[in-house]
This record gives sequence, C-alpha cells and structure tokens, in this order.
Amino acid sequence: MAEKIEGRIQNHMNIRTIEYKNIDETVYIYEHSSGLKSFVVPKKGYSKKYATFATHYGSINNEFIVPGEKDAIRVPDGIAHFLEHKLFEQKDGSVMDKFSKLGSNPNAYTSFAQTVYLFSCTDRFKDNFQLLLDFVQNPFITEESVEKEKDIIAQEIRMYEDDPNWRVFFNLLDAFYVNNPVKIDIAGTVESISKINRDILYTCYNTFYHPSNMMILVVGDVEPEEVFKQIEDSIDTKSSKPEIKRIFPEEPKTINRDYVEQKLAVAMPMFQMGFKDNDFNSKGIECLKREIAIKLILEMIMGRSSSLYNELYNDGLINNSFDFDYTIEENYAYSAFGGESKDPLAVKKRVMDEIKKIQMSGLDKDSYERIKRAMKGRFMRQLNSVERISHMFISVYFREVSMFDYPDVYDNMTFDYVKGVFDSHFNLDNLAMSVINPV
Amino acid sequence: MNTLISENKVSEIASFNGIKIYRIQSRKFKTNSINIFFYDDLTRENAAKNAMLPAVLRRGCEGYPTIRDISLYLEELYGSVFDCGVTKKGEHQIIQFYIEYISNKYARSDIDLTKKTFDLLLDIITKPVLENNAFKKEYVEQEAQNLKELIESRVNDKMQYVIEKCLEEMCKDEPFGIYDYGNVEDLKEIDEKNLYEHYKYFLETLPVYVFISGDIDDEGVKYIADGLAKIKRGNIKPIAKTKVEVEVGEVKNITERVSVNQGKLCLGFRTNTPPGSKDYYKLLVYNSILGGGLHSKLFQNVREKAGLAYYAFSRLEKFKGLMVLSSGIEIKNKDKALEIIYEQLEEIKKGNISDYEYEASIKSIETGIKSLKDSQLQIVDFYLSQYIAQTNDTPDDVIENVKKVTKQDVVDISERIKLDTVYFLTSKE
Repeated sequence: MAEKIEGRIQNHMNIRTIEYKNIDETVYIYEHSSGLKSFVVPKKGYSKKYATFATHYGSINNEFIVPGEKDAIRVPDGIAHFLEHKLFEQKDGSVMDKFSKLGSNPNAYTSFAQTVYLFSCTDRFKDNFQLLLDFVQNPFITEESVEKEKDIIAQEIRMYEDDPNWRVFFNLLDAFYVNNPVKIDIAGTVESISKINRDILYTCYNTFYHPSNMMILVVGDVEPEEVFKQIEDSIDTKSSKPEIKRIFPEEPKTINRDYVEQKLAVAMPMFQMGFKDNDFNSKGIECLKREIAIKLILEMIMGRSSSLYNELYNDGLINNSFDFDYTIEENYAYSAFGGESKDPLAVKKRVMDEIKKIQMSGLDKDSYERIKRAMKGRFMRQLNSVERISHMFISVYFREVSMFDYPDVYDNMTFDYVKGVFDSHFNLDNLAMSVINPV
Repeated sequence: MNTLISENKVSEIASFNGIKIYRIQSRKFKTNSINIFFYDDLTRENAAKNAMLPAVLRRGCEGYPTIRDISLYLEELYGSVFDCGVTKKGEHQIIQFYIEYISNKYARSDIDLTKKTFDLLLDIITKPVLENNAFKKEYVEQEAQNLKELIESRVNDKMQYVIEKCLEEMCKDEPFGIYDYGNVEDLKEIDEKNLYEHYKYFLETLPVYVFISGDIDDEGVKYIADGLAKIKRGNIKPIAKTKVEVEVGEVKNITERVSVNQGKLCLGFRTNTPPGSKDYYKLLVYNSILGGGLHSKLFQNVREKAGLAYYAFSRLEKFKGLMVLSSGIEIKNKDKALEIIYEQLEEIKKGNISDYEYEASIKSIETGIKSLKDSQLQIVDFYLSQYIAQTNDTPDDVIENVKKVTKQDVVDISERIKLDTVYFLTSKE
C-alpha cells in the first residue's frame, strides 16, 4: 500500500512536504516567485551534502526561437556543453578556486536534455551553496576565454573518440535516428565548436537559463527551511517568464539503419543493440510506468535469471560485461543492450529468435512477479547514495514526475499492462545494432 | 531514527582460525552488506589461479548449481545483489565476495534476509559444484576463456590501461608488476583439477577479513560468526609485507603505439614512503597539491593555463608507495606537456606553494575522507586498507594527521619522490 502523506510547513514561504512512509524519505518543495522550483531531500546522518542547479537545456536543443524574436536559429552542435564549461569563469576568476578554498568539489555535466551544475561538500554548506546560486546566474564570458576553452574541449572530444564504450553507444543512436539531434555527440565535434563565439553563448544562456526553466535540488543532512530561505534571497526575480520555443525536426518512426560498424583499438568486438521506441509522447507517471515495464521485460528476457542469458553465456557468446537499459525522454526513447562478444551477429540472431518465441508463447507470469519484487528491492539501494538520488531525481524531474513514485509504480503495475508494452516495444523492424570491431 | 550510530567506528567481533570479523553499524542505509575478503601474496604462481576462483565459484554451488539458479534465488530475496572479484593492494591480491540486501525493515517480510543471504554467500564460497573430486570442467574452461578476454580487453579503457601499464613496467621485476587478474600464459596451465587443489589452499590457509555493515542485529552477527567458524581451516599463511623502498636508476622511457586519436602521457614515481610511516601524511598533501583536484598545480597549469588537456591529475598507490601522473594530450604536444609537468615538480621542491594550494589541498583530503562514510563499500575498503597496510587509523585520525602537515613538510618529502618511468601511448604513425 502506498503511504504518501502531503503537508505544508506553516511559514511565509509556503513550503510543501511529501512524506513517503514506506521508504522513510521526505521531499520538501518550494516554488520561487520567478517560477524556479526547488527541492530538498534530507538525509540524516550523511556527511555529504549534494546540491544541484539544473536547467532544462541540453545537447538536443540546437534549434529554437529566442523569446521575443520571430525566426528560429540553429546553433553549433556542442554549445550547451561548451556553455557549461564557460559558466565556471567569473569576473574575478574561476569559481572552481572558490569552491576549492572551501574544500568542496564543484562539477557539472551536460546530457541530452539537461545541464546540471553541482557541488558536494561536507562543511560550510551555506557558503558553498551561495557560490552555486551566484555563479550559475552570473555568466562572464570573454572572447579570449572562449578560444582557450576550444583547445580543452577538443581534448575532451578526442578522449571520447578513443573510448569504444562511448562510440558503440553513439553509433547505435545514429542507427536509430535519421534527424533527431540525440544522435549528435553531446560535446559536438572539433569542427562544430570552432564556430562558437561569445555572442551565441549569451544567446543560449539568455534563452534557457531563466529561473522558470530551472530547478534546484539539495540532498543531504540540511535544514530545508534554511536552504529555501537562501534561495528566496538569491534568485533574481527576472522579468516575466519567457516562452521558449524548442524546435525538433520530424523523425520517422522507422530506424535509420539496422547495422553500424566501426573499427577501434579493442581486443574483441563490442556491441550495443536495441529497439527504437516511438511511444514516448507522455509526461508524468505514464513515462515511469513505461520505463519500468520495459526494464522488467528486458530483465525477464535477458537478465541473469533468464534462459537466454544463460545460453549465451554458456556458449561463450557474451560475458560478464553484458548489460541492458531503457531510456525515455521528451523526444525519444529506446532500449539498448550489449557488451563484448566474439560474434555479435550470432547474439543478435539469438535475441531475435527469443523475442519471436515470446511473441508466440507470451511472457511468463511467475518471472514477472518475481522480477518486479527484485527490481523494487534494488531501487531501495539507490536511496543509499546522495549522488544517485540527485541523478535520478533530476533525470525524471524534467519529465514532470518524482523518482520517489517508483515504488508506487511497481506496486500498481499489472501483468496485462506489461504484455501490452511488450507488443508495442519489441518490434523487430525497429531493432538496430552497433558493433565496434578490432582494428 | 534518533540513534544514528557512527559509521566512524568499527568493532572487532571475533577472531579465530585466521578469520577476523568486523562490524560497522549504521542505520542510515536502506541496505546491509556482508563482505568477505581472502588475501594472498601477489605472486606469478598464484595470481591467475586466485583470479579464476571467484569466476568459477560464482557459476554455482550446492543447491544453486548454475548462474541462473543463483540469480533466481537472489531475485526471490528481494533483489539481493551478489558479486565477487579480485583486486590488488600493493603486493597483496585480494579476493572479494560480497552480498547486499535490503534491511528487514523495508522488505516487510518474514524471511530473515541476513541468514538467507549469508547462507548463500557461504555456500558459494565453500560448496562449489564438483565433478570427480575436481571443479566442473566446463565452468573452468569457460571462465579461463572469459578471464583471457578480460585481460586482453584492458586496452579498451585507454586512460586506465596506460596507468596500469606504466606502473607494471616500472615494477616488472617485482611482484607489483603482476596484473590483478594474472596473465594469459598462466591461464593455459589451469585445469579443473589443479584449480581445485589451489582452492583447498585458498579456503584453508589464506587469512580472511569479514565486514558486516548496516543495521544487522546481534543475532544476525552471531549467526554469521558461527557460520564462518564451520569453515575447515589449516595453518594460516603468513603474508609478506609489500616492499616500498626501491633505488631508482635512469628514467625509463616507454612508447606504445596503438590506433588512437589522443596521446596518453603517464609518469610513474617511487615515493619511498610506506603507508605506515609518519611521512605518509606529508605525501598525501604533496600529491593533492601536485595533482589531486581542481586546485592542483597540474590542473591549473596543464589544463587551465596552457589548455593542453582536458584531464591532468596525479594519484597515489598507497601500499606500494607509488605515484602516477596522467594526462590526455594532442600527440604533438608531448614535449610541451612534459616541460610544464617538470616545472610543477620543481616548483614544489623550491617551496613555491601558495597558501591557496596548500589550504585547498588539506581541505580536499578532509572532504574526501569524510565523504567515505556515506558509502558502505567505501568505508569497508577504508578499513580493509588499514589492516592490509598494518596501520590502524580511523578516518578522523587521517584528517587530524593531514592537518598537521606543513608546507615545509611537503618540500621535504618532495626530495624523496623519484621519477622512474615515462609511458606514452600514441598513434601508429
């Protein structure tokens, strides 16, 4: 049974609380007048305090209409990530130094749909948090520093070019998608970033870094009211909430190609394969439901307790590196599974045979029940880590849902729903494969 | 939730037959874990065999004879997680078996998960699937092949690979030069019979550390200790100390050519400072100033000032007293990068350490140590490392000792740190 208790803290700030009794977690929520939403997940007894300031803007947002303008602009690939690097530069030097003085670790990451700034600290939370609030709101970008950053990011791009795990994954996205910008490397290319300048960076910043497009999350042993007070005092109440018009190209439902291959310095072939999912036009709890259903099915078909996994393993076609996952975002969704194999095509054939078999005979109800319970148990593990909580919270937040609803979704899942999802997702016409072969 | 027991404290529960059992209590986690570590000298003779053991044992045990059976059972136990593997710490090889399960409080079931998961863990270690008084031939052959692939696939992760290769080349005439998983030639000699003989040696004679962490009650702890007491043990093998002090001759230059876009530069140093010595804390601060974070000289100068790299850091191998410095650069910039790196080493020797570098370094170590306490695996690893190194610091001791280190101490220790090997991974042409 779900035990979710909603409440409010009686003060001028109108703080809401949601207590999740089953898992001993409470989320505190405060919405700033600018439209910025902020959250605190207290973790009593933890040393680390982990704070994030995120914007709903990532590598896929390369075409948009600037608020107040008429025409759409297309910005260079990799600019969201470039901007993430440049925000650390401040008028009085690098903000990294200020964090370091406090003994904390600042960091940031750019994904397809979000840019996230963060720090973790054990002491002086308030000072660290102030730095985070200030630097994300105050860009100071010079042409000179943009040019230097190009050299640094070029080396980051080179590093990923040599990383077979990264390449095999992006090649799969390229196999799935014809136009969707998710197929473009998050950091862009050395060529695309060469076109970035100060002005375009500011255009992107001004479009996507309005507080109403952002969120703040703090996980750790902190007092929620103090955190929210600090936010109230530090967030610029900017002019009215701008309407951001994001433009996405039309994407056909079919895959781009069913096979991609690249040669790199690896010892044995590496592969990723999966299904392009077209049924992602949902926000909120529907999105979690589909995610869990597909992960459940993947676990049933190819998890360690499945016959397929064991046959592939015993025949030496996969090893311990084999893994699988499902991703669902606003504009795309796909499953992906893979690892190392001496014969990736043989693995593909076995997977296809197994799926055809299940299409005939149906999914097994007993494994469904057992695996559902196991996955719910494994979800609890995630709650041990402030980093994991932050990561999960943010990734589902922009889909307008709370990660703490996962246990509920497990409890309310039905076998019939899962069967329906199996039929819609595991369509062999949408199966693509990416292979990295040794040079 | 009012009694949050400090995970700072570890208590020794029992010690018998070369098995030491420790308990780290904490109520802040949703899960409990049981870690069992066997440890051996790192030797050519045993390395591959020791690496094979967890790989073969995880294939099945009495009652659960296949991976599938074990996985099905773990799923029934509310998605408990089992894993095993090997690592090295200095010239010791550690063979780890681990199980994690949700606290009874959240499972809301009548099943006693502590007992069930521990029984499974113990059965995996002590009751392997046997055929004709040896391991199952099929399992041994398959895992030898998997291990061969794992060893050969090291090259996939270039950043990690070049660091390991640099240190191995440096120590190629010492036990530390052996890879955690042994080497491919030695795997060829392994069969189901000799591996089973080796297994008896492993189970009967290797010293064992056991860590029980999370919110496990006294009854559960006693159950675990009683179970471990039933393992038949012989004379416990005395484990040698890692040799730290080694004379360095001329600097070795090694270039490896593979098909890559980015060059990876790695410098290996001997610090000649064992983990048990008072100077070890000075070394910690030295490393932090040189390359231990965003505040460090390497990050500031190689990346921020010269724009040569995305990453540039240094790292200590505590047990063997090694320091490794690593950066990914444009191939043509190798000499330029080396020049800047050598400059940073000289700056510390000359005492050119700013207050910012010094203070941020100490604070960064402090934050790192305090943060350990939020992860059961990390806190277990911290204490295991203390026992392997024969030091007995708590996290607070480390922080306290690091805070006593002065700038002059850092300058003093810099004289003892000697460059041994420069390793460069570069493209084929």
